[in-house]
Amino acid sequence: MRLAHGVTMLPTFMPVATQAAIKGLTPQQVEALGVNLILNNTYHLNLRPGIQVLKEAGGAHKFQGWNHNLLTDSGGFQLVSLSKFTKITEEGALFASPFDGKPTMLTPEESISIQHAIGADIVMQLDDVVSSLTVGPRVEEAMWRTIRWLDRCIEFHQKSGRDDVQNLFAIVQGGLDPELRDKCLDEMIARRDRVAGYAIGGLSGGEEKDIFWRVIKQCADKLPEDRPRYSMGIGFAEDLLVCVALGVDMADCVFPTRTARFGVALTPTGPLNLRLSKHAADMRPIEEGCPCPTCASGTARAILHHNATLETATAHAITQHNLVFQARIMGGARDAIINGTFPDYLKNFFANYFGDAGYPEWCVNALRSVGVDLLEGRSDVKVISGDGAKWEYSDAA
Amino acid sequence: MAARSHSLFTPSSPPPKFGPRTGTLTIRRDGEEVLHKTETPALLTATSRGLVPHLSRDHVHRTRVIRHIQLPFESFIDRNPPVPTLVDGPHPLHTFLGYSFDSHILTMTLRDPSDGRKMPPNGNDFVAAHCTRGVRKVTTSSWNTFVEKCKPDIVVALSDTPFTLPPHSQKRLTKSIERSIAWITSLLKVPAAAHSDTAHRQSRHVFLHMAGGISPEARAEFAERLTDPVDHRDADALAPYNTLDDGISGYVFDLLPLRAALAVESRKPIDEGDLAGGLVRVSDRHRSSPDSSSRLAELLQCSLQVLPEEKLRVLNSPVSPHEVLRLVRNVGVDLLDSFWAQRAADMGIALDFRFPVPDDLESSHTACKPPRKRVNGKSNLGHNLFNSSYVHDHTRLASSFLDGLTADKSEVNGRPVCDCEACSPRAPSSRILHSAVDVHAWQDSSCPTSPNALQPPMTRSYVHHLLHTHEMSAHALLAMHNVTVFSAFLDGIRATIARGPEEFAREVGRFEEVYDEELVLWSEAEGMWLQVERARGKGRLAREKEKQVESTIGTAVDQ
Repeated sequence: MRLAHGVTMLPTFMPVATQAAIKGLTPQQVEALGVNLILNNTYHLNLRPGIQVLKEAGGAHKFQGWNHNLLTDSGGFQLVSLSKFTKITEEGALFASPFDGKPTMLTPEESISIQHAIGADIVMQLDDVVSSLTVGPRVEEAMWRTIRWLDRCIEFHQKSGRDDVQNLFAIVQGGLDPELRDKCLDEMIARRDRVAGYAIGGLSGGEEKDIFWRVIKQCADKLPEDRPRYSMGIGFAEDLLVCVALGVDMADCVFPTRTARFGVALTPTGPLNLRLSKHAADMRPIEEGCPCPTCASGTARAILHHNATLETATAHAITQHNLVFQARIMGGARDAIINGTFPDYLKNFFANYFGDAGYPEWCVNALRSVGVDLLEGRSDVKVISGDGAKWEYSDAA
Repeated sequence: MAARSHSLFTPSSPPPKFGPRTGTLTIRRDGEEVLHKTETPALLTATSRGLVPHLSRDHVHRTRVIRHIQLPFESFIDRNPPVPTLVDGPHPLHTFLGYSFDSHILTMTLRDPSDGRKMPPNGNDFVAAHCTRGVRKVTTSSWNTFVEKCKPDIVVALSDTPFTLPPHSQKRLTKSIERSIAWITSLLKVPAAAHSDTAHRQSRHVFLHMAGGISPEARAEFAERLTDPVDHRDADALAPYNTLDDGISGYVFDLLPLRAALAVESRKPIDEGDLAGGLVRVSDRHRSSPDSSSRLAELLQCSLQVLPEEKLRVLNSPVSPHEVLRLVRNVGVDLLDSFWAQRAADMGIALDFRFPVPDDLESSHTACKPPRKRVNGKSNLGHNLFNSSYVHDHTRLASSFLDGLTADKSEVNGRPVCDCEACSPRAPSSRILHSAVDVHAWQDSSCPTSPNALQPPMTRSYVHHLLHTHEMSAHALLAMHNVTVFSAFLDGIRATIARGPEEFAREVGRFEEVYDEELVLWSEAEGMWLQVERARGKGRLAREKEKQVESTIGTAVDQ
């Protein structure tokens, strides 16, 4: 994917720099990890430092010293998730300003205008976000409104003349209802010449995984092949790989950086909760052979245990590792896809990651739908129904 | 005398008894050709729980002024045996904590010299130390074992410094001297069996706290005990040392307890009021003055009067550059910790000062503004980046230094460069490749960075933003910057000493004239810092933090 700040290889995982910083790291450290596409949150940057400051600094890239590609969301999701008082009207999202409580309107045009000031390489349309657990007519209303808002965003974006350096992505909505999703897909695909890529929205909100993957598959199957597909809010390793298998190119999530601050390191054999006392005298690195600065410098689990949640430097160390872990998963997928060995790659990953705990049934089903049988030759493996995230071990905090 | 040959310190010229001095600190490691030389006065980086606060390992290595590192061991005594003692190899502490054998010299001490909290009394054979599980007793024999296992480059002997409420009685001071003498004797004797070869013994560099509190007589008495011929009963075990002092490479002065005791004596106890649930340390409220500095100088001189000049003088927890300058001028200091500068990073302060005071301090032709003047007419030592006046300030952190990129571009400008990762960031020398095709992205002509290329400096507005959004990156940037500025301060001290003591004294006077010593900026920053902590750490996180602070003296800022 070629953008204004360089080339990013797909599929890829995008670390989240909500407030214009990947938690605890400097932009140079992030680049050293082999990452060249990160995400900023429009809602947060609009509040702080504010558009005026970003404009003075010459855009968000310069402000945070990040030289590579940048994506901003539209701010719609945070309006809904962070504010109880947001009211959606046809005009836009009406919310209470966190500064003075005054009613403030975020319109599609304004969202794009803010994202223009931020200067991200990929900007997202404002969408009407409903929780993925919502049912009833509200879902359909939100879907149609999202399409109308897309038109307004396209209009504004193209008139602004920024469309040659900033790429607008549409967001497919429609809840968990296949018919609504289909209608939304048709409408949005009809606008394909005026959008640079597509995001799959309205998921990762607590819906059943078995439904989640079917929606992803439905969208990925139908979206045009020559446009990148971005699955929003996906960060668990198994979710990433299933999404890639179903045809997704990009994903983002705060999970790897957030979980790091609570002392959880991600590994090919599952998350490692470094706060557990069993790591207190363990002199091994998080993962033997991992190229991240933490493992490559031989940082023992014991010293991470000693300082997890007590020293910021340890949060940085685990964050560096976790971002490299995510990047390696996706890098491995790129290699495997190019070499035609992706099915084996998936089987290997699941054997290592879930071999002891059992494979999540939804992953098995999702991958079967694209012709990969994880259980082939593995009659010994347990299959776990439900969401099956490898979780018993993680976030003690 | 063979026993004296392991001296760490070589003065540049025969040093005066008391007065500014420079020299070289040399470490030669056992069985290795590695030689470490540091020009003194040199910087001793402070650590918390084994780590330089806020810095990941790559940042520690990137910050080249970090060479001497002080490691308080007490956080590790929550487990028995302490985990660092379980590490194999020739340099267990370096290995375990991620320091480089080649560039980092580790000094191991039991207590954190910047932790001034009240502690239960020490015993005849133990020091009360602090860890996450509360107070633990560390006996002399266990300390000797820890040291033997951890193999630091330099070890600080246990000493009996009371952290009970001052004032301390004459009797208490006498006891303190007796114990400290007994404990250093025990360390110098250390396991004859394991150290039968004298070569190994010679490689152990021992620092000793100078006991005696704020009693000049007690301090002099302690020093004399060190130079007395050793008791004949100990003579064999201590051979080849004829005096305890023969086995000591450096004299350590912890200013924190001295300052606290002086404040009580002068009936101006330090405000230990609201410590914000432990976020603020007692030492954060300590201030220096010409008066307090001269009292401290007298006390240091009492200890050093009978001791040889050519041994290292180590200063812990000074609270202002003014104090450092006066003790360098009136006593002579070779190694001093940078806790004050590092702590400023916790509070959102970017240091911006130089010694000697730059001639062009006032005349700022550039957009990068010098620190503001206070009503007393003196300049702040830095910038409180919490202050909203920095919202629109898109310039580098310190006006008295250049950033790497600007210095690279312009040919004329006398100012030194701040080489820290905030002022002179460089694109990474390499990026991790995650697939065979990644290299094409990084080598593509559209890739905006090339390896090692200088990048524009981080700006005040960006760090201001990070502080107010509670982002940990702010503290990492400030920690690297402040320790670098503090190291440049020591560079300036060395260069000025070389111009003679009169010239040095003149520059100290000029510094006192120009820069504010009351640290009003620190009080302001502390207030704003706590405000953000309270506002953004409310609810669960705040409670977690309180719990965490109760149990540790770590430097976690935002989890």
